Amino acid sequence: MSTAVPPSLGQGARGGGAPRPRRTVPAGRRLRRAGAPWLLLAPALIVLTVLLLLPLLRVLNLSLQDYELKNLIRGESNYVGLDNYVHVLSDPFLWTTVLPNTVGFAIVCVVLTMVVGTAVAVFLNALSPLWRGVCTTAIMVAWAVPALTGTYVFVWLFDPLNGLVASALGSAGVLEPGSFNWFTSRLAFYAIATINVVYHGFPFVAVTVLAGLMTVPRELYEAAEMDGAGPWRRFVSVTVPALRPIFAVCIILSTIWDFKVFTQIYLMPGGDGANRSVMNLGVWSYTESFSQGEYGMGSTIAVLLTLVLLLISVVYIRFLLKEDEL
Amino acid sequence: MIARRQILTAGAAGAAGTAALALGACSGGSGSSDPTDTEANAGKTVTLWIMQGTNAKTDEYVAALKEAFTAKTGATLDVQVQPWDGAHDKFVTAMSGGTGPDVAEVGTTWTPEFADAGGLSDLSAEIKEAGLQDGLIKGLVEAGTLDGKMYGMPWYAGVRSILADSAILDAAGVNSQPQSWDELLAMITTIKQAKPDLLPFPIAGASLFSMLPFVWGAGGKIATEEGGTWKAAIAEAPAVEGLTWYTDLALKHDSSSAAANTWKETDSLKSFQQGQTAMFITGSWVPATIKADDPELYERLVAFTIPAKNSALAPSFLGGSHLCRFEDSEEPELAFELIKLMATGDLATRWATETNFFPGEQKAFDEVVSQGDELTKVFAQQMSEGGTTVPVTPAWGKIEGKKTMSTLTSSILGGTPAADAAKTAATEMDQLFSA
Repeated sequence: MSTAVPPSLGQGARGGGAPRPRRTVPAGRRLRRAGAPWLLLAPALIVLTVLLLLPLLRVLNLSLQDYELKNLIRGESNYVGLDNYVHVLSDPFLWTTVLPNTVGFAIVCVVLTMVVGTAVAVFLNALSPLWRGVCTTAIMVAWAVPALTGTYVFVWLFDPLNGLVASALGSAGVLEPGSFNWFTSRLAFYAIATINVVYHGFPFVAVTVLAGLMTVPRELYEAAEMDGAGPWRRFVSVTVPALRPIFAVCIILSTIWDFKVFTQIYLMPGGDGANRSVMNLGVWSYTESFSQGEYGMGSTIAVLLTLVLLLISVVYIRFLLKEDEL
Repeated sequence: MIARRQILTAGAAGAAGTAALALGACSGGSGSSDPTDTEANAGKTVTLWIMQGTNAKTDEYVAALKEAFTAKTGATLDVQVQPWDGAHDKFVTAMSGGTGPDVAEVGTTWTPEFADAGGLSDLSAEIKEAGLQDGLIKGLVEAGTLDGKMYGMPWYAGVRSILADSAILDAAGVNSQPQSWDELLAMITTIKQAKPDLLPFPIAGASLFSMLPFVWGAGGKIATEEGGTWKAAIAEAPAVEGLTWYTDLALKHDSSSAAANTWKETDSLKSFQQGQTAMFITGSWVPATIKADDPELYERLVAFTIPAKNSALAPSFLGGSHLCRFEDSEEPELAFELIKLMATGDLATRWATETNFFPGEQKAFDEVVSQGDELTKVFAQQMSEGGTTVPVTPAWGKIEGKKTMSTLTSSILGGTPAADAAKTAATEMDQLFSA
């Protein structure tokens, strides 16, 4: 009976065995069979449509309009074609400040997060189960701290006049407290933001990589050791290939997170748009849409941010998993 | 909702004099044109939004307000206290979705923006009819008036002046009202010599309203209006002179610290409370905060008006709240009755006294001042003689949102020549004015 074949396997013989004789299936049943997966997917698809697809389409739609507060209140649309895109893309501010800040910051943060996260994972893997549990809990606390709280903590630590760092440098005789405001310097500002973001991001990488590490068979390491491989060589030749899919996922997720960083920048002194030289795409989009009521322009920036992220994700996936299966 | 708006517009245009009545007839579902007809109003509800955190005794005030409102109109009052965080977005959402209250407290710099967008209704006729227009604080009326129509009824306001620790000033021997910029500078340098570890007068880079009195005090303007179009004036000579003098306090006269380049007003206050700052620019509502935190410091407080270039008093920004009626209100007469009840008379005085702000009605203002202490009198003088407002145009909301003015101050503090930074700010403003 053909009905014995589950719909997911379908008619096509996957294993490529002996071709079965073609059977004719009544049209109605064929339709029902094709519809079954969609029916099962429907709840998820409906949720995704409402929560993701519709807002996405709305943002796309807004990005083609000169849409301000009055349009929102009066419910009027005001299409201007690609004007917003032309305006944003021809703005030197995008190319000299916003994009370099966003991309540079993301690259540094992703690299550091991955390095620190992996190092911590390797360290955790070497611990006894008890200490591994204790240390994992400790780093998970860092992860659980909301971005807002974490950012304020770092702002306090680096307060130029009374912060711990300024006091320490002051008593070491390196820098008089209050003589230098690192929040006004683009590089120093982003250095502090980097510490904040990496501190906040590495626990996820560490725990995920640790989970992967624990699945790598011990024998592989033993065999490598027998062949005379040192610790570094074992890491590069055994651990890294085994964990490639996990690294890929962590890198893609970190990239997305670090690209659209908003809270950690916006809440730092001058990060809310007062200091233009430290603006990134997220803050720029926010100040255009919500602070100035230019919803169309803000949406355009958001669309561009999404496109950049999509592009990066595609490149990453292709680059990292070209030979292997995902 | 849209259909009703069209009727509203037609009604207002058709009979400006009786606009209020026409509105009532068109919009109220069960509209009574007499807000004091207690029997007819029984069972009706008016909703009010006020902001959280302004009044520590909000609950008691709200209870008294509800009682007074029901006694006067017969209708029920529903008060919802809204947090300031995200308030702007909430207003916008409420206006676009028609889910707003009848009456709301709206920050004075938001009123033109919301009015222009069509979310608030014109109160001019009713204010005139009630005979209120002459007894209101001028700066607040100005801030709520767009194209000659009044969208916001002045409720309460505060103003910024200089607050100082008299212990530090006495030790340096300079405890008197500065009569000009030169005298203020002399005070600052004397304090610096007497107490080198202190910040005599921090220049908070992210505080727009601390900087503006110096632009105004030199005779400068942010922008000027001619025939309905605004043009930036911040790059003109008097404004640049003010900017230069103010920032030079930090750059040349050692009055501040690099740390203060990113400070907001709250940071200056914190530093003052920690005893690291001798004097600073702050709002008239701050002494009460200090009193609650540190009664000893409060006893030592002394206030000065912010001096202008050649006089003891410069214009200072008058910030506060209007009471506005939402365009979607189903009960416009009752809503206006509520606005009158809150913005005039006993309840206005009570609100001001409890919040340490000044009322928006002149009579209530005079009463609060006569009961107040020395600090109150200084702030009151700054407010009644120097209270001024930022350009009343919907574009101002964008300029504030874009942080044009804060960027201006912090870039001068960061080393950009004042004239260049002002030119950049002016270009940005002109773009927003013309958009």
